[in-house]
Amino acid sequence: MAKNSKLTTAILVLIPVAVGINYAGKLFASALKLPLWLDSIGTMLSAVLAGPIVGAISGAINNIIYGLTTDPVSFVYSLTSIGIGISVGLLAKAKMFNNAFRTLLSGLIVALVATVISVPINVVFWGGQTGNVWGDALFAFLQSKNVGIWLSSFFDEIVVDLVDKVLCVFITFGIFKALPKTLIYTFKGEE
Amino acid sequence: MKVLSLYVERDTFIHRLEPITKLLYALISIVITFLFPSITVGAVFVASSLSLAISAKVFKRMILLLNVVLIILLSIVIIQGLFYSKNATPVFKLWGLTFYKEGLLYSLLLIVRVVNMIISFGVLILTTRPSDLVDDLVQKGLSPRFGYVLASVLQIIPQMLSTTSTITDAQRSRGLETEGNLLQRFSAFFALLGPLVLNSLVEARERAMAIEIRGFGVEGKRTFVREIPETKADRWIKVALYVVFTVAVVWRIVLWIM
Repeated sequence: MAKNSKLTTAILVLIPVAVGINYAGKLFASALKLPLWLDSIGTMLSAVLAGPIVGAISGAINNIIYGLTTDPVSFVYSLTSIGIGISVGLLAKAKMFNNAFRTLLSGLIVALVATVISVPINVVFWGGQTGNVWGDALFAFLQSKNVGIWLSSFFDEIVVDLVDKVLCVFITFGIFKALPKTLIYTFKGEE
Repeated sequence: MKVLSLYVERDTFIHRLEPITKLLYALISIVITFLFPSITVGAVFVASSLSLAISAKVFKRMILLLNVVLIILLSIVIIQGLFYSKNATPVFKLWGLTFYKEGLLYSLLLIVRVVNMIISFGVLILTTRPSDLVDDLVQKGLSPRFGYVLASVLQIIPQMLSTTSTITDAQRSRGLETEGNLLQRFSAFFALLGPLVLNSLVEARERAMAIEIRGFGVEGKRTFVREIPETKADRWIKVALYVVFTVAVVWRIVLWIM
């Protein structure tokens, strides 16, 4: 158990809640007809609270549960969620969320990480597409202009991810700043 | 208690198989369809996964699962048929757009792979209670602490969704605008998600204390209320799957060398 000693019981119960927040974020976003997914807030919040490893686990479990309950394709995108969890956790450790400018920069980094991981998956599984109408329209346009598949797929993914991930990062920090300190210490990983 | 699941209650041979056997089938069939860039191999696995789904009497639910990716699959046919980089041989024209053979074949390959992935995992998901799968994995060596995490997600999500509707009602009664322009709807998002996060974190802290008191952190071997049996059929199917997998990998390596 020495390996798991960092994963206290409080942190283990945080992971399901993170997945639930992702789920609720997606639900609220579609109920309010927001043109975004906003479905990685829980993963990000757990990474900010308890560090990159917990963020990565939350991300992976999030996609496994999605795969088991709605859409089997989401299994393969676990890698993207793991990347989001790790990058947000590391950025939080590096105090990259202290002001609005740094938070924006962090959002851009997270979007870039998510895109770089998703693109190979998109190319292998979908021939480069993402399933998002606007992104795929751009993809088709770039393909017709003979831009390479990797670059087309990169732009397809980033137009969607950029806004979504930057907003998710801002929302996560808005919520994190509003949490009572006692709650934050409960879920903080042991250093 | 309400649990999130797509499980369809039936009594068939497939339902009675051990969850790990079905998981193994899904993983191996997916890996093989990606090892060989061949439509025939893909079609063989789609056919076998489909026959499993039919014999488990979950065909209708399977169609619903496939519906999720229908539009993206159609768009793959159109985009690859028109713009695939190796396109050379025109097949037919539609509204002045020329579809090419290479692109259409490539899109067909992508489609059989994705469809096999969905059906083979679908067989697992539709014929297995998620809690059985988690129990089975823990009995085969997954850490029970992680088993708890997986199992509790499936219970917490429905719980949080019902909290969600309570919060929505409460905020609406205070005059929260959930319609209107983008900015209004966006600030409503905060007003809805904020209380949910706070509420669930407080509950999580209580849950942590509650399970800790009941010996959650105790070290040592666990015993199980319900043992998931591994039948003779399971063992034979697993052996067969390993054989098929080994043959496929060896064959692939031989093809590379030659």
